[in-house]
Amino acid sequence: MARLSIEHLRKSYGDLTVVDDVAIDIADGEFLVLLGPSGCGKTTTLRMVAGFVPPSAGRITIGERDVTTLPPWKRNCGLVFQSYALFPHMTVAENVAFGLEMRKVAPADRAPRVAEALRLVQLTGFDGRYPRQLSGGQQQRVALARALAMEPDVLLLDEPLSNLDAKLRQEVRVEIRELQRKLGLTTIMVTHDQEEALTMADRLVVMEKGKVRQIGSQRELYERPADRFVAGFIGRSAFLDGESLAPGRFVSAGGLHIACAAATGQGGATLALRPERIAVGSDAAGLANRFEARVEHAAYLGALIDIHVRLSEQDQMLLQLPNRQGFAEPRPGDSITIGWAEDAGLVYALES
Amino acid sequence: MSATAPEAVAGARTGLAGALVVPATIFVAIGLLGPIAILFRYSLNQFIPGQFMVDGLTIENYVKFFTDGYYLNVLVRTVRVAVICTIACLIMGFPLAYVLARMTSPRKNLLIMLVVLPLFVGNAVRAAGWMAAFGSKGALNASLIGLGLIDQPLEIMFTENAVLIGIVAVNLPFMVLTLQSVIEGIPRHVEEAAFSLGAGPMAMFRRVLWPLALPGILAGTILTFILAMNAYATPVLLGGPKFQMMGPLVYGQFAQQNNWPFGGAISFILMTATIVLTVAAHLIVQRRYR
Ligand SMILES: Nc1ncnc2c1ncn2[C@@H]1O[C@H](COP(=O)(O)OP(=O)(O)O)[C@@H](O)[C@H]1O
Ligand SMILES: [Mg+2]
Repeated sequence: MARLSIEHLRKSYGDLTVVDDVAIDIADGEFLVLLGPSGCGKTTTLRMVAGFVPPSAGRITIGERDVTTLPPWKRNCGLVFQSYALFPHMTVAENVAFGLEMRKVAPADRAPRVAEALRLVQLTGFDGRYPRQLSGGQQQRVALARALAMEPDVLLLDEPLSNLDAKLRQEVRVEIRELQRKLGLTTIMVTHDQEEALTMADRLVVMEKGKVRQIGSQRELYERPADRFVAGFIGRSAFLDGESLAPGRFVSAGGLHIACAAATGQGGATLALRPERIAVGSDAAGLANRFEARVEHAAYLGALIDIHVRLSEQDQMLLQLPNRQGFAEPRPGDSITIGWAEDAGLVYALES
Repeated sequence: MSATAPEAVAGARTGLAGALVVPATIFVAIGLLGPIAILFRYSLNQFIPGQFMVDGLTIENYVKFFTDGYYLNVLVRTVRVAVICTIACLIMGFPLAYVLARMTSPRKNLLIMLVVLPLFVGNAVRAAGWMAAFGSKGALNASLIGLGLIDQPLEIMFTENAVLIGIVAVNLPFMVLTLQSVIEGIPRHVEEAAFSLGAGPMAMFRRVLWPLALPGILAGTILTFILAMNAYATPVLLGGPKFQMMGPLVYGQFAQQNNWPFGGAISFILMTATIVLTVAAHLIVQRRYR
């Protein structure tokens, strides 16, 4: 195991830059998740670390080794593909032994290491099966065991759970995380699934359009999102566009005056509010900001109720209310009072 | 009642499938097996000059072939040419097929057309082209002599090498297309997995690509081997009158010597040799790889 450092990494295809100046440091034994919408450059970043895509610029260091120009077979990165990519002509045991064979481990020493890797993923006894005789979940574990058996310096996972059904995905999440912790594996996982990222990561990297938007723990990303994109991507936010006039004062596009501690006079800006900081009805009494809102649309989602409200001609927001006992969900056309405290919102200057 | 309804539909489907197989079956039976059976019967007849063919039941035609050094030599040469051509096609065809299979750019279809292009020209026409290019007064020798690089024309025409080059040129597209379609079915990620596990390009090829491409390799080699064993126009036109292979030999017996029984026997020996060698190679490869 080793630490991994990515510096100023860039990848361009012609005029199109798909990974732009990415810098990430991953500590020994850390589980880092690259999270972002589809097409934002996560896979390309991971494939540059694995050695399949030559970077246009930048440096990748594993431990003390600069691997930027090394071919994949000299990097010692364990890789698990979304499609598992097992060798269909080899048995489970042969698949898992492949990395050891390539590293010239003596045949007698391979068997116990294969057995150990299969034990770790709970596939003891499946040695002689072929991949086509296994379920998707089992194939996924073989892929993991194959990567683990060669004792990689870093483990790279590209959407490893996206081909599993929902229930299995929950279980495998926990299993992968426990295994990673037990073995102290330095790991990068790529996903576009926010919940998966939040439940598994030590630290997250949020990417958008090839750029890193923010790196931090779940709490940091949720409570102090660095920009509007992160505020909308990690958890949900209600947004109001407007202007930050002066310290403590924000005016919405529709002319609502809002007391807001985060406003510093940035000029054109967006106010972001976490749904749970917005109070409704009698709960809103005594809060610094209180408004009458008209319900435009309400959706019952079980634990939550989504309500689209209009505060003025030009101000709309999406509220997410917990579905408490006896809560009567508002109907379109209803008028409700909503409110939030002065310290509730975050303000992001408009991006040019 | 309602439970039997789907049965009836399925039954009708299999009936239709059966009906669709009939034309091909009849064609194979009448068009291919029939003539072969007749040929085999002829090969047991006697040939008496002047009398054409006399009904009989003799193996003298086969004895004649296997006791005459000249004919044995033709068989050995044919097998040698076919084996060399097949190996050359495999060695040259695999990298090309791989590149084509892994290509994603729109130029791929253009390249495939280029590979197939030689097949648009018939064997005889192509061989005539080779003669014009490589004959002692052909374009190549004329330019080399004109440039003063050589003073005697190079002997390319009417050698075994000319025949080898000619047959490889014809068979290569078949090998490339067969291999390409099989390699396309091998996911790129599987190769990458091998690389990430520490396999260099050679090890990846040997342990992953080759075994997974094996069905295509077998199909391609069988196809090109059969084509080479039975080559006719290329050996005649590029090999010249003294370079005999089995295909032209059969034709000569039928058309020039009018010796149908012996021609039939040679046909049978050619067919049997092709089948036996193909099956033997198949078995050896299958044993080697599981
Ligand atoms: N070989 C390539 N040539 C051109 N564009 C590419 C290539 N590979 C990826 N891209 C582009 O790079 C962008 C990022 O892709 P990718 O890293 O796969 O995104 P993600 O994994 O985040 O969904 C996409 O817009 C994709 O179309
Ligand atoms: Mg991806």
